[in-house]
Amino acid sequence: MIQLSVRSADRETIEKPIRFNAPLFRSLVQRLDTGERCVVLDLGAARTQTVSLFGQYGCRLDIADLIDGVEQLNAEPDPECLQDRVEALLPVPHAEAADAVLCWDILNYLDRPALTALMSRVAARARPGTLVHMLIVYAGTHMPAYPGHIVPREDHSLLDVAVSRNEREAPRYTPCDLTDCLHGYSLERAVLLTNGLQEMLFRL
Amino acid sequence: MFELGKKEGAENNHEDSARNEQQSQRNAARTEGASATSATTSRNVAVIGRSIRIDGDLQGEEDLCIEGDVNGTISLQNNTLTIGSEGKVKADVYAKSVIVDGMMEGDLYSSERVEVRRNATVNGNITAPRVSLEDGARFKGSMEMDQQAVEKAISAVANVATTNAGSETRSKDQSKTRSGLNGDKHATKPKSASRDTAEGRESVG
Repeated sequence: MIQLSVRSADRETIEKPIRFNAPLFRSLVQRLDTGERCVVLDLGAARTQTVSLFGQYGCRLDIADLIDGVEQLNAEPDPECLQDRVEALLPVPHAEAADAVLCWDILNYLDRPALTALMSRVAARARPGTLVHMLIVYAGTHMPAYPGHIVPREDHSLLDVAVSRNEREAPRYTPCDLTDCLHGYSLERAVLLTNGLQEMLFRL
Repeated sequence: MFELGKKEGAENNHEDSARNEQQSQRNAARTEGASATSATTSRNVAVIGRSIRIDGDLQGEEDLCIEGDVNGTISLQNNTLTIGSEGKVKADVYAKSVIVDGMMEGDLYSSERVEVRRNATVNGNITAPRVSLEDGARFKGSMEMDQQAVEKAISAVANVATTNAGSETRSKDQSKTRSGLNGDKHATKPKSASRDTAEGRESVG
């Protein structure tokens, strides 16, 4: 089971953020240029730049801030209770479903049952055709012990902000692993980035 | 004599100047205090202090800063609400602008802007044309920033508020139980009295 040892109160940026290009994220943002209304669900914590970016496109931004709930999701052995826990952690569903979902870093810290349960509840909040953007640690065998922050920049590249010096083993989920875990999702594209992250775009 | 007088005069002058200096310092302090008071007055900000707890609906026509606990609804259609660092609000809020620096649970409707500061914790939905959030702030919920959706939601809220204001005016003479806060500008009422309000807002949401 994945254990997160750093309390949220101790989280601080410990290293200089690393900028990286994410072509699939850029393509996702470019789709917003059409001016159509868009609902974005971010599973991570609220960040200034994320609010600013999607605010300028007039989106509705739903923020789940699941980071502090990862430990309890991984610790739940009962599948039904796990679904209930996920439901309690996600924002209250709206009548209007999500058009895009951002899964940045958090999936790396979830065990497979928790990951499956989470994404099934996310699917219930999304519409057919919803795009799900993921960043998965792939090249390296280790990753920070605690989820960091991924924040978008004005040029639609991303910044990786680490909040933990300690490391733990990375699950290194492959696109096939995720396809098995995510029922109803199909992989649209996957790109291995220079920083060792695998960028994936799934479609519901 | 003259010298003594002169000396005395010099001493007196010295004492006088010391007194004058003290006096001028006091005056300066008073002026400072006065200007601080007038600044507060000119900004027209009402403050709900740390030890104050309000259960019920709160309405007003002036800016408000909450450092205490408020549970219910807050309506400042043309003014700014600040939830200070000590403030704990469990309410649906309708205001022109909102600044959150403390804890907020409920939905925020703003016709202009919502600012969530780094020490803030917000659990609820924000509907505003402009939303800014500082890194470090905790937020869980939705931010509606689409201009059309915001205008629609705000106008629906305003209509409900107008309807409620009308019914309040009608019932004002019948009920004298409301207690005023900070003069006539803010008023609280028991939750039971705001039943129609809550239902109206629920139907909007």
